[in-house]
Amino acid sequence: MNQYIILFFQFCKFSVLCFGGGYMLIPLLTAEFVEREQVLTMSTFGNLVSVAQVTPGPVGLNTATYVGYVNGGFFGSLAASLGLIVPTILIGCSAAAGINRWKDTFLVKGMLKGTRLASVALIMYAVTIFFGMSVFTQTIPWEALGALFKLERPVLPAGFGVSLPGVLICGVVIVLMLKTKLPSTVLLLGSAAAGALLAVWF
Amino acid sequence: MENEVRSLSKARRILLLYCSFFRITALVVGGGLAMLPVIEEIFVVKHKLLTREELLDMTALTQTVPGIIAVNSAVYIGMKIGGVPGALAAVFGAVTPPFTVILVIASLFPHLNPKNRYLLGVFTGIRAGVTGMILVTGCRMFRRTVKRPVECAAVFIFFALAIMKVNPVWLILAAIPFGLAYVWWQTRRLAQAGAGDATAPRAESAGAAEDGGAGK
Repeated sequence: MNQYIILFFQFCKFSVLCFGGGYMLIPLLTAEFVEREQVLTMSTFGNLVSVAQVTPGPVGLNTATYVGYVNGGFFGSLAASLGLIVPTILIGCSAAAGINRWKDTFLVKGMLKGTRLASVALIMYAVTIFFGMSVFTQTIPWEALGALFKLERPVLPAGFGVSLPGVLICGVVIVLMLKTKLPSTVLLLGSAAAGALLAVWF
Repeated sequence: MENEVRSLSKARRILLLYCSFFRITALVVGGGLAMLPVIEEIFVVKHKLLTREELLDMTALTQTVPGIIAVNSAVYIGMKIGGVPGALAAVFGAVTPPFTVILVIASLFPHLNPKNRYLLGVFTGIRAGVTGMILVTGCRMFRRTVKRPVECAAVFIFFALAIMKVNPVWLILAAIPFGLAYVWWQTRRLAQAGAGDATAPRAESAGAAEDGGAGK
């Protein structure tokens, strides 16, 4: 019972802190479940977000359901999903009418400005997390790169390198997103097919 | 026909909300803002339960309040059309499909670590695709949000702290007093002199340059 309550409140916390869409949940989730509790590995987490992206439904909800399942089966999923939606319902039902009236007040403006800037930074961090799972073969070794500040040559851990299929697919997706209006589903299904094809050679 | 729908009984509206949001999250991949055109089609064009302006207000609102954008939209649209029961119906409609789909996937692929080479390739491919998508989304968000040098500096300080493994929860919480202080300082400076606008264009180009740098 206890673990369900903990899951519920963990996801309540994420829900309340989520300003600016599902991607900014990625650093929150990895900090909690990969680094602190270690119930997921980085690669499982990456696969999970991938599945969440190609199946219908919002990424946040999909991730909550999956993490809940890994932690505590069906009821774990239920607790996590409820944790994600209950705060939203409470805020929505109590503040929906008022918030448009308050949106120009100093408090709301300041809070929004701050959290928006933080969420941009967290999305940038999410990009680096994903770089470590696709473009590079391992998590980016920030500690080693710290040597650059001392003007020394960074010692990269063994096995850290560039993954060619990752670079190719990532690059093509970026170009297609900037130049065309293809829906994300098409892009991701294309990446999946390209990944399977490239697996023949790499 | 339209009048008939407009005068839907409360129970019918709630059922409509549940079914519509069920359909939306079941069919729309990607969630969040991708849902918007479908919401418009169902509630504005077909059933005329919302006006276009109301939907626009709602969109701004769902990006303002905390929470997942998809759930936020369900709550606010449900609230507008059917009160608290409407909000509940819409949210549970929105949650049901992804919940079921992911449960099935989670029980079929224990811990999502495939052994098959081609399946691994599929995951590698999607991960790389997602990387590109987050990168582009992040750059767009950066350009929309960061307008002045101070803001740019703040973003990079937050980013550096995230890399140094400061828990993101504390980052977001610390960002709130920072935002308050910043807005206070900015309004005071603007009130003192009208010189605030002169720095804006320069700040924007600086932001864009940093943006491109971060992209590589």
